[in-house]
Amino acid sequence: MRYLLGSADIKTLSQEDSVRGVLVRMVMEQAENADSEEIESLENALQLLLTRFKVMEDDAS
Amino acid sequence: MILRSVELESFGRFRGQTIEFRRGMNLVIGPNEAGKSTLAEAIPAVLFGTDRLERFKPWGRNVCSAALFFEGQGRTVQIKRNLITDEVELLEKNDLYHILSQFSGKVPLRGRSASYRKYRALLESLLGVADEGLFRATYFFGHHPQEWSGEDLAQKLRTLVSGSAEADYAEILDDLLDEHFQLTRINPWGRDKKRDREYENICQQVAPEGGTEAVPTFVEIDNSADLKAEIEKLSGELENDRHEHEKGRLYIKSVRHQMMVDLPGKASLVNEEPSDKESSTVIEKPSIDKKTPINDVALSEQLAAVGLPQNPPRELPELLAEAAQIRQELATFQQPFSALNNREKKIPKVPWTVLLSLCMILVAGTAVSWWQSFYSQWISLGAGVCCTLLLSWGGWQHISRKKALDDCQDKRNRLDHKKLEVQKKQAFLSERCEAFGLPSSAIDLVRLHKLVTANHDLLESWWKQTALSVEDLEVCQNKSVTDDGGASSHNDTSEGGEEPEEKNSSIKVGEDERELHQLESRMAEFETELKQKETCLQNLRLQLKAVPAEKNSKVVTPEATLQYRKHELEKRILVLRKSVNLLAGAVDEFGRLHLSSLNNEASKLLSKITGGRYSAMRLDENMAPSLQVDGQRWVPAESFSKGTVDAIYIALRIALAKVRNDGRSLPLMLDDPFVHLDQKRLSTALNMVDLASTDGQLILFSHNLDLGKRAARERWHVVALDGGAADTAQKEGSDHARQLHLL
Repeated sequence: MRYLLGSADIKTLSQEDSVRGVLVRMVMEQAENADSEEIESLENALQLLLTRFKVMEDDAS
Repeated sequence: MILRSVELESFGRFRGQTIEFRRGMNLVIGPNEAGKSTLAEAIPAVLFGTDRLERFKPWGRNVCSAALFFEGQGRTVQIKRNLITDEVELLEKNDLYHILSQFSGKVPLRGRSASYRKYRALLESLLGVADEGLFRATYFFGHHPQEWSGEDLAQKLRTLVSGSAEADYAEILDDLLDEHFQLTRINPWGRDKKRDREYENICQQVAPEGGTEAVPTFVEIDNSADLKAEIEKLSGELENDRHEHEKGRLYIKSVRHQMMVDLPGKASLVNEEPSDKESSTVIEKPSIDKKTPINDVALSEQLAAVGLPQNPPRELPELLAEAAQIRQELATFQQPFSALNNREKKIPKVPWTVLLSLCMILVAGTAVSWWQSFYSQWISLGAGVCCTLLLSWGGWQHISRKKALDDCQDKRNRLDHKKLEVQKKQAFLSERCEAFGLPSSAIDLVRLHKLVTANHDLLESWWKQTALSVEDLEVCQNKSVTDDGGASSHNDTSEGGEEPEEKNSSIKVGEDERELHQLESRMAEFETELKQKETCLQNLRLQLKAVPAEKNSKVVTPEATLQYRKHELEKRILVLRKSVNLLAGAVDEFGRLHLSSLNNEASKLLSKITGGRYSAMRLDENMAPSLQVDGQRWVPAESFSKGTVDAIYIALRIALAKVRNDGRSLPLMLDDPFVHLDQKRLSTALNMVDLASTDGQLILFSHNLDLGKRAARERWHVVALDGGAADTAQKEGSDHARQLHLL
């Protein structure tokens, strides 16, 4: 699929010095050597986590 | 970067005052209610905004603003905020007063606007802190000692070390695990749960004997979708083929016509040199045609003279009539389109502004009458009814307008569709005209139409002549076919008796004929293919009709539903597991990266504070600190004395501020944090803070006059606040008198 991992937002997030940035970098590294099924699974997990982060941030603000 | 001054234009009890600070230790001293805490709170309020405006807004005044001036590394940063409107101005300048960065906009305490994000990003880059929670957890030491230590600090440290002051990753992990264990009892990170969850229940229902692979199965009964796709594909192909066929037919027709036109000229060559040999391969014209070449040439010249094509086809009047009809049809579309445009323009807009203004006036009138003696419930009722009526009328008008617009759009679409069809016809007509060698533009066709009408007789005679030529051609063709066998022998015998040009022309005519025959045979094959495709299409349509309507849908069995749910659950569980593993890994990685630097920094500071007694400290995974004793044993901080624990937490907070802010340090602010300590412990705590702040700036707010003596002794910068107001515009170097006074 590589829709999410190829997006500009994800590349920006990977530059962050935060848990989110480390997470995105980890996912991108794992996706490098993964098949399409595994990439889809990684993208789904990343999407879920980023959504949770957003919810937490919104709740905090 | 140090805080050079705080300008309080109108903030709490301060009016137009500027408080200046220096590098190193600064003591703001004054009795209770002198404004120390207000001054301390001004800093986060200007940086981030506040939700306690009522506390800082001067009584009886509608102005509340302050500004901060930071200085360091060859640049200054000025941040000014109007706390009522949350308008912020930020200006970064270098030593030459060149503006390096600038911001102006509305930045409330919380928000998601673009200006909010821009300002926070600027703060992060300039000061290293863009979050109030992070600021208060690191630089700002308040009154309450519990903020210094214990679970509260551990929680803050955990959150901050995790990378953001706004998200607690442990909470996210817990949520994900909860969701996981709601779906399944299988625990890949430990012992399985005892009670079966939804996934296990479904597995049992789907495969009572256990062990089958869960794949959702849908029973596909019909293939109507495939049929439809095939029909659609074949229809497209057929349409294209028909179009090509028509083009080919027209081409063959025009070639045949051209041959007929060329034939008399060639025949004339034969006639000019009459031969007595009856069986010549040269097409021999019947005696009746002996005058036709001359007639043809004359007619052709006449046609050219009046501006008509030299070889006008027989279909010309038909084509021109069709073109005229198409033009007429296209012209008829103009009027409905313009009528539709006019109608759309005339549809009135709903005067929402007027309606809302009237409603506002009514509400305002009712509100005003509330304070008057003549107020009665009838006034409110009347205003309410009027507002409702006005808004209802507006809504009704809006719906009517939308309906009328939709109607216009429908009509426009229908007209567009019709116009498109006519345009297709026009395109087809143009192709036909081009195939006959006629102009295809509308203007040329109109001109041609006029010429054809004016020279109808001339054209008729041309077509009659052409018709005769066609008959002659057919006769000649038959003759040449029957004489084909003896022609060559005759040619051999008549060698030298005929001119080479005659031979060439006769050969060329023969070649053209053969090509024409080939084309016609290919056209015939093409027609056969077309017919086959049409038959196939008809069969497919019949098949589609034969598929029963009730079977034109997917039938899902209960088992399939369970299988599908099982599959969905498996996917969700997989995603949750992966998310938990990824997040745990990321938190560990981030913590490992930052925790080690935090531990190193805190160890350095602790060693400094304790005079080298404890030189190593660390935070465990629960953010609980421990100290290394005797160079090997790690002892939890709780086992040490209160003074050592205080030292650990001071070291941790300052270290955290340094680690998080990557060298862009801000002043440490202590708002009477030692208020609860006795003289001895106060002295110890101050020593610790003083030691920790030697490479930065520290601002201590206190009411303890004894600190004033120490300040004078150790040459701290002192800002004395009295009960009335703060000193204005203090200058470095002019505070010795005040310090002497304190002594």
